[in-house]
Amino acid sequence: MERLFLIFLAAFLINNILLIKFIGLCPFFGVSSRFETSIGMSMAVIFVMTLSSVACWGAWNFLLDPLGVGDFLYIPAFILIIASLVQFVEMVIRKVSPALFKAMGIYLPLITTNCAVLAAATESVKPGFWKLSLEYNYGLGEALVYTIGIAMGFSMVIIMFAAMRERIEIAPIPRSFKGLPIAFIAAGLSSLAFLGFKGLFGI
Amino acid sequence: MKRSIWRDFTIGIIEENPLFTLVIGLCSALAVSSKVENAIFMGVAASFVMVASNILVSVIRKMVPNQIRIPIFIVVIASFVTIVDLTMKAFFLAGYEALGVWIPLIVVNCMILGRAEAFAYKHGVIRSIADGLGKGLGYTLVIFIMAIIRELGGTGQIVAFENTIISLRGFQPPQILQSFPGAFFTFGILMGLLQKLQRKGE
Repeated sequence: MERLFLIFLAAFLINNILLIKFIGLCPFFGVSSRFETSIGMSMAVIFVMTLSSVACWGAWNFLLDPLGVGDFLYIPAFILIIASLVQFVEMVIRKVSPALFKAMGIYLPLITTNCAVLAAATESVKPGFWKLSLEYNYGLGEALVYTIGIAMGFSMVIIMFAAMRERIEIAPIPRSFKGLPIAFIAAGLSSLAFLGFKGLFGI
Repeated sequence: MKRSIWRDFTIGIIEENPLFTLVIGLCSALAVSSKVENAIFMGVAASFVMVASNILVSVIRKMVPNQIRIPIFIVVIASFVTIVDLTMKAFFLAGYEALGVWIPLIVVNCMILGRAEAFAYKHGVIRSIADGLGKGLGYTLVIFIMAIIRELGGTGQIVAFENTIISLRGFQPPQILQSFPGAFFTFGILMGLLQKLQRKGE
């Protein structure tokens, strides 16, 4: 139990996917200008990421690895799984909530190319890219907790940042820096704050 | 009005630079720009995938059904990324290890899918090549400039391919430029300066 909690924390705070690992930045800056769209986006990401990691875990452990084709087929295989899942989520949202669908606009198909989803899937199946100092084995339970941690970390930062950007909009800043440039600098400051979590609980 | 092929190429470098004005393909750009050497590897790899996938998407565009175009584009891109992945592993192992997760993540670089979707799917082969080359060059240029700023400012020297190119003496490098927040700061400030310049030009 304690181990699972540590894995969650490592993914959620210490190796936060957006601010520490720089993964998934395009939707981060794209949808974080409004609070509501950022909530919609993060819900979609949590859902897709969890499903796709489980699916990729299954594909790796029952198909790719036993057949010995994992090393050169994992990129196309994982991305196909993710792409079809995203298309599915898109259809569901279009049916259930047209307003949300309209708000997300271009970003829903772009979840496919949200590097965060592929990174989370790859990382929970064959860890090692991120050089996490926590020993980690390949069980489904731990992979699931790890992915949920990553997804929650993504959502927390994107929602927090949307709130910050709404405040920045009305702040007096130099004209050339209005909009995205100041958002990058604000992201840099948040990232600096997140660096402070490094070494927490010795992870 | 029809744009010339040369225009398709040049527009990607400044006016529609994928990083500064379209703001896509950010993740890899920020992450690999801490060293000049990595920036060059990444720029070449991403440009290759972009041009190659633009060509293939443009060739098959009449056969692709509209509803499932995105999975098809992704598979095309993933195949080229696998080529890059295995080639780099075989010939440039040091570069491969330094870039790590970023090579497989070229697949999901929204810049490449974005170009396939917005340009190559609607235009002929030659113009798609021009577009891919221009956008690739624009991307490489930006990460190259960022890498120079971050490596020179953060470590006080630029080391590429085992040669020290520039080394500053008597300079205490602020390490923050090398770490994650520095990437955000550098990019934000560059972007602000670019906007200022563009405003002056008007």
